[in-house]
Amino acid sequence: MNVQAEHHDEVLLAKVEGRVDSSNSQDFERQLQGAIGEDVKAVVIDLGQLAYISSAGLRVVLLVAKTLGQRNVSISLCALSDPVQSVFEISGFNRIIQIYDTQADALAAAGK
Amino acid sequence: MSDGASARAARGDVPDYRILVVDDEPDLERLVRQRMRRHIRRGEYGFEFAANGVEALEVLARDPDIDIVLSDINMPKMDGLTLLQQIPDVNSDLRSVIVSAYGDMENIRTAMNRGAFDFVTKPIDFTDLEVTIERTLRHLDEWRAALASRDKLVALQNELDVATKIQQSILPDAFPRLDGCEVYGCMQAARNVGGDFFDVIKLERGRVGLAVADVSDKGVPAALFMMSSRTLLKGAAVGAGSPSAVLSEVNDLLNETNEAAMFVTVFYGVYDPSSRVLTFANGGHNPPLVVHADGSSEELELTGGLALGAVSGFPYGQASVALHPGDLVVFFTDGVTEAINASNEEFGLAALRALFRGGRRPSAREAAETILQAVRDFAGEAPQFDDLTCMTLRVADE
Repeated sequence: MNVQAEHHDEVLLAKVEGRVDSSNSQDFERQLQGAIGEDVKAVVIDLGQLAYISSAGLRVVLLVAKTLGQRNVSISLCALSDPVQSVFEISGFNRIIQIYDTQADALAAAGK
Repeated sequence: MSDGASARAARGDVPDYRILVVDDEPDLERLVRQRMRRHIRRGEYGFEFAANGVEALEVLARDPDIDIVLSDINMPKMDGLTLLQQIPDVNSDLRSVIVSAYGDMENIRTAMNRGAFDFVTKPIDFTDLEVTIERTLRHLDEWRAALASRDKLVALQNELDVATKIQQSILPDAFPRLDGCEVYGCMQAARNVGGDFFDVIKLERGRVGLAVADVSDKGVPAALFMMSSRTLLKGAAVGAGSPSAVLSEVNDLLNETNEAAMFVTVFYGVYDPSSRVLTFANGGHNPPLVVHADGSSEELELTGGLALGAVSGFPYGQASVALHPGDLVVFFTDGVTEAINASNEEFGLAALRALFRGGRRPSAREAAETILQAVRDFAGEAPQFDDLTCMTLRVADE
């Protein structure tokens, strides 16, 4: 699992690759929080290269979304593979976190 | 300095370490007290003296705080080598240092084989003796610290074992006898304490509440969250009416204090045997499987829900399904379908459905046990990271 950060103006793009489960979810949380930092207006998390996410990984996404929500920073996800999309749909997290098909869509919406 | 030694030193009356000198040479006591006087005055060492092995054992028996035995070899009544053999019976938490004639390798070898930690030679070089004592005491401190850590670890392991038993004990192991249906459930935890649970709750008018749940993450935090979720759910199920009201109530209560953003996926249904209707609400849980008497099966179509604990005030929907005689409903956690084998393949929903093809019509218990056994056979020796929970509702045949 690895998280890479890119800045697109005031939007932070975090790209996650690999697998996230209970064995590395704490590392995932540290990397994601570290990538986001303080001075951002919006966060887009690209899950295109994420092969698998367990409930432990979902907890980290929820924690980050809640923290950002308190700071009035918008968050969205994009480019989910079918298995990952299905995890978000079954848990219902797609109803509380905005999900876009492509990175371009997500960045365009976040930059507005 | 060990904690015990520093506590003793702090009281000011007892030295940090106690050393028992065993020698039949009467002048040695005076010599030791003189050459070690600075250590004695600073309260670092305290000395006791015995003239032979028998006296030494008497001192050790009445004084359990001796840290080092410094013993000569040749003495009347009981020699030093015999004393070495006897010491562990009296005190296993000290170290022995032998005083031997220069070059007496045979006795030195025997002493070391009998558990002596080190040796010094006669005539005693007190500078060398000080170094030897210091080295022996450092070793003793490290040994005692290691023992204390081991004891703490054992205590922690015992507590985890108790937690596992508490968790297992709150899961139903006797299932209510119901008219027109039967219910069974079982759980296999991946670690000591897990995050899955299920519950069977007898309700008014012959109805039964059925819950299966999976807490995010594993281990102790998940187990604590599981315990409170399960208690809240049972309370709400008995008190509130509809499944959607139960999930809404539990969700709001879990959201009151949830800094760690834990969540729990819950499927909760109420089955009424008189009408054969299952009314349910879903909190982000994977759909149960409905197996018909002919062996065909389909997943329950879910209400659009959300895992509990994620957002307060979420409106949970509710739906109903009419079951038929001989129908079997399998409620499970994703540990079942996502169990992996040595080739990293998932068990999957297709394999679960295949177990019932052909319409064997198992009882609730047979069905649940067949599923868990099939998953175990599939997984083989591959390590499992998720709890497996399976609960079954079997509608009576016509």
